[in-house]
Amino acid sequence: MGSGRLTGWGAMNLGTIVPGAEHVYAVFRQDSKNDPHVHVGDVHAPDAEMALILAKEQFARRDPCVNLWVVRYADIEATAYEDADMFEPATDKSYRFGGSYREQQRIYRRR
Amino acid sequence: MSNLWATPDAPAVVSDAESRAAVRALLLALADDELIVGHRHSEWTGFAPDIESDVAMSSIAQEEIGHARVLYDQIAALEGTSADRLAFGRGPEAFRNAVLTERPNGDWAFSIVRAWLYDHADAVRLRTVAASPLGPFASLAKTLLREEKYHVVFADAWLERLARGGDDAWGRVQRALDAAWPDALGVFETTPDTEHLVRIGALAAGMDAQRSRWESDVRPRLDALALTVPAGAAAVVGGRQGRHLPDLGMLLMEMTSVWRSDPEARW
Repeated sequence: MGSGRLTGWGAMNLGTIVPGAEHVYAVFRQDSKNDPHVHVGDVHAPDAEMALILAKEQFARRDPCVNLWVVRYADIEATAYEDADMFEPATDKSYRFGGSYREQQRIYRRR
Repeated sequence: MSNLWATPDAPAVVSDAESRAAVRALLLALADDELIVGHRHSEWTGFAPDIESDVAMSSIAQEEIGHARVLYDQIAALEGTSADRLAFGRGPEAFRNAVLTERPNGDWAFSIVRAWLYDHADAVRLRTVAASPLGPFASLAKTLLREEKYHVVFADAWLERLARGGDDAWGRVQRALDAAWPDALGVFETTPDTEHLVRIGALAAGMDAQRSRWESDVRPRLDALALTVPAGAAAVVGGRQGRHLPDLGMLLMEMTSVWRSDPEARW
């Protein structure tokens, strides 16, 4: 598991672990121009154009949408779950939390 | 959708009975095309080559049938009937769809070629109506064109990939084109009603002019895919006058069976 190209932790190319990844595209939908693109699912397609065309009906036929992205799994680099402990703080980092106010969302959604 | 017949600028052209009948005939031809091709597309639900295209084709089918409903609603408003009754309560001889739309599905290549020929023809037709001085009809056509754009994109993408997908796929597309081309020419069948609409200025282009526009759109695309249009093919006409294949009767038998079991039921 993992190509281990980075020292110390196992970054991996999702193309190496998703079956048929050459023809699987992750689909990201944006609900409105102020929203981030969110991964909503995948489509099988022979190429990126067809992936977009098919994604439109799979993921934008009910929910609001202004924009779609498709990304081939083989083009996604990911961290390895074995290394998930690197996301765990060793000491109290609650001073970093932004949960008590919503300033960040307000900035993102402004316009 | 507002009632087209009650809007201020409609009566100027449709106040006389002959013009009203001609507009009704055009709406009915459009609606019947959409309903019947939509039903044929819906027959792929559960059987398309991949799950993504299955969902997409089914969506397109729903949208075509939705367009038929919007158009039937306008006729119903004129005559005090309902869209359901127009869709389900008529025999094949009362349908005015082009033969292209009723032709049974064969392989996926045939359905893609049919959808492609039809959607490009429909786009030419709707753009003509969208340019009509009859404001309400023009805006109705513009609304429908918004969804038709995706139908064309889907059909273009599939046609191109099949035609470039090797000898077997290309051969299936060419055979489908040979079979469907004369039917597709028949989409632009001229009738006394279409001639009347051109004469009173409600249609900016007659059916022959629309057909030329469509041919200059589709022929270069087919050339680019090394596909050959059958030479000297005569248009299969008659659909606009109620002359249909036995296949339409069978389609209607199936499509209307639930409705016919109780025409007065409220759903």
